Amino acid sequence: MKTFLKVLLVLSLVVSANAKEVKLLNVSYDPTRELYTEYNAAFAKYWKTKSGDDVVISQSHGGSGKQAQSVIAGLEADVVTLALSYDIDAISQQAKLLPANWQSRLPNNSTPYTSTIVFLVRKGNPKGIKDWDDLVKKGVTVVVPNPKTSGGARWAYLAAYAYALETYGHDDAKAKDFVTKLYKNVPILDSGARGSTITFAQRGIGDVLLAWENEAHLALKEFGDDKFEIVTPPLSVLAEPPVAVVDKNAKRHGTTEVANEYLKYLYSDEGQEIAAKNFYRPRNQDVAAKYAANFTQLKLVTVDQEFGGWTKAQQTHFADGGVFDQIYQPQ
Amino acid sequence: MKTNQTWLAVIAGALVAPASYAADGGDTNSAQAAEIEALKKEVQVLEQKVDSLEKQSAPEQSSAQVQALDQKVRILERERENDRDDAAALAKAQPKISLGASGFSFGSADSNFVATLHGLVQADSRTFFGDRGLINGNDSFLLRKARPIFTGTVFHDFDFNFTPELGGNVGTVQILDAYLNYRYNPSWQLEAGKFKSPVGLEQLQPDSTTAFNERSIANNLVPNRDLGVELHGDLFGGVLSYAAGIFDGAPDYIGTTVNADSDDDKAFAGRLFIQPFKKTKIIPLQGLGFGVGGSYEDDRGGTAAGTQTGLTSGYKTDGQQTFFSYNSTVVAAGTHWRVSPQAYYYYGPLGLLGEYVVSDQSLSGGSVHPKGVVDLQNTAWEISGGWVLTGEDASYSGLTPRNPFNLHTGQWGAWQAVARYGELDVDDNAFKDGFATTGSASEAQAWSVGLNWYLNKDIRVNASFSRTTFTDYHHASTAVTKYPENVLFTRIQLSF
Repeated sequence: MKTFLKVLLVLSLVVSANAKEVKLLNVSYDPTRELYTEYNAAFAKYWKTKSGDDVVISQSHGGSGKQAQSVIAGLEADVVTLALSYDIDAISQQAKLLPANWQSRLPNNSTPYTSTIVFLVRKGNPKGIKDWDDLVKKGVTVVVPNPKTSGGARWAYLAAYAYALETYGHDDAKAKDFVTKLYKNVPILDSGARGSTITFAQRGIGDVLLAWENEAHLALKEFGDDKFEIVTPPLSVLAEPPVAVVDKNAKRHGTTEVANEYLKYLYSDEGQEIAAKNFYRPRNQDVAAKYAANFTQLKLVTVDQEFGGWTKAQQTHFADGGVFDQIYQPQ
Repeated sequence: MKTNQTWLAVIAGALVAPASYAADGGDTNSAQAAEIEALKKEVQVLEQKVDSLEKQSAPEQSSAQVQALDQKVRILERERENDRDDAAALAKAQPKISLGASGFSFGSADSNFVATLHGLVQADSRTFFGDRGLINGNDSFLLRKARPIFTGTVFHDFDFNFTPELGGNVGTVQILDAYLNYRYNPSWQLEAGKFKSPVGLEQLQPDSTTAFNERSIANNLVPNRDLGVELHGDLFGGVLSYAAGIFDGAPDYIGTTVNADSDDDKAFAGRLFIQPFKKTKIIPLQGLGFGVGGSYEDDRGGTAAGTQTGLTSGYKTDGQQTFFSYNSTVVAAGTHWRVSPQAYYYYGPLGLLGEYVVSDQSLSGGSVHPKGVVDLQNTAWEISGGWVLTGEDASYSGLTPRNPFNLHTGQWGAWQAVARYGELDVDDNAFKDGFATTGSASEAQAWSVGLNWYLNKDIRVNASFSRTTFTDYHHASTAVTKYPENVLFTRIQLSF
């Protein structure tokens, strides 16, 4: 019997020694599918060389707010790469899956790339849309997702609000009136950025799509620049999508090391190049210079400067009964 | 349109005014007539232009209207599309409830929490022939098994099973299975509680899928359920299965199991089973499996036979009559080990299953040398085979009829013919040294044939005949072993 048990033990060790595949789940927001498809392949290759292990990374995409709620409800993300820090704060505060100081663990407040909100219009720009005030004109139909569920939509809303504050001398009532008029021109709210792109580009609805910069470029690539063109307004918002390891999930899965490396590698030259190629503005200055032609220069305001940070912005504008609830009436 | 009408009125007025004026001057009539004619032509030209303008402006207006309507339709369609997506997403988040051939189940949307109710009911009859009236009360209808079976999963990785037994010969309720299984992955699972000890091949087969009403005579030498902790799993996609655990220690098969240990001794039990061709393309050999199970315990029993002694209450025939038992003075007095090489083969409608069991145990309390310890080695083997007459694939875990019974459509389910032969040989020293009760047989040979009718996945009807013959060491046979046992079994089984 002792021999039998020894044989079983040796067999067990042999089997466990061969188990070298690591699985990661990256829960992300809507328009990052293409970015992380390319990045995951690059990281898997890097990790194989570095550790000898195979890493298989699964992706989950949706509206940033919805994705955060899914993680809170039990979706076992090893890492989250969401549209805004408030959504990861929610995971930290409501589910205690990562510490409150998560944003200080990686450079640039854990935002390896940035983006902004631009306009995607139909070819020839038939409505002559050049700036935010063109969006409130009568007869202009605007497509944008729902800020309650979409991170990109919150950035777009705040960009419009910031424009109004700048234009009307920081008169909050006028800014509120401005976004009220803008959302009167919005006939439909999708739950995520990709949904709005479908609404505008594939379903042929509306005159202008308020889109992530990378999503607008992707639409040009996918549908052809003979159908659409990008209009970059003189002023928009500096969107800083953050990333974080979901500590408790990663620990339970035994993936803490690879999850940390996965996010750190976003800051590497290769990670930054992949971000830039996918039209995310890289943090690395050299890479940014190399891809400068991809990104139109414009004035970018930050949420911290204009709205006092994400917590305050969320509470004021997007919480139940907030400004958005007051100004938006479904049509 | 109003603008065009005004134009015409003005032009008409212009025509009337010169005509009135001309009536007052006769010498200028011809010139005026020519002028009127010219004006008429101009009116005609203007009318044509007005018509042309009207034709041009109408399509522009209707085009704008069409565009506006088109946008509204598109928006409505997109909203409907989004509503469908939202409804689908909502449906995915709803708890799932299902009722089917495998039981009643309800669980969370992400399947992390699932609870399922299964059931097993076996209504049997046993009719004995040729016992010459020596045994009363063994012809019977009986509720052989009646089990509500609760299984499920909590927190994704923890499976549970709770199965009480409400049927059986004894008529008392017992907890048959009650265990928690942590499933790290299919290869590494840790089970704790009360469950089948990993030794006998036929014993490990689900109770609802055995070929005959009762397991073979060889099953007498393997342990039934036991309490303990077991590491188990399937490696290489099920090519190699292993199980190894530590248990309270169970005697040779006893139908009525206990929920606690009666001594400090613990048993080790384990099993390796290989299906080397399972993942290959050699189809005829994919269903070949073989392995070995075994157990080891240093067992020092108490005083009362069949309860705290670590001993079986007796070896039973197919008809569940005891043909061998130990004297009440006999107790376990040392090591008890078992080894059981085993194999099965399934290919299409053919199914074969066989195992050999050695149960070797040190005992004391024999009547010849009451304080002496004697090592008794009992052996048994069996082989059974079946053929599915209706062509379905046979398997270790049962079969599913291709055409479930339905008189309206002329479907008759699946039919299977089965046969079995087995022997059990009790160590002769059990008789020489006075360990066996008077009338115990030293050997038994049993053969059986039967027909199984699977009406559908859940309902099965069996009929079989078994004959067991005995070798009586002391020639002191009692009623059970005096004559061969001939018994006809029937069964109606509901299993879901």
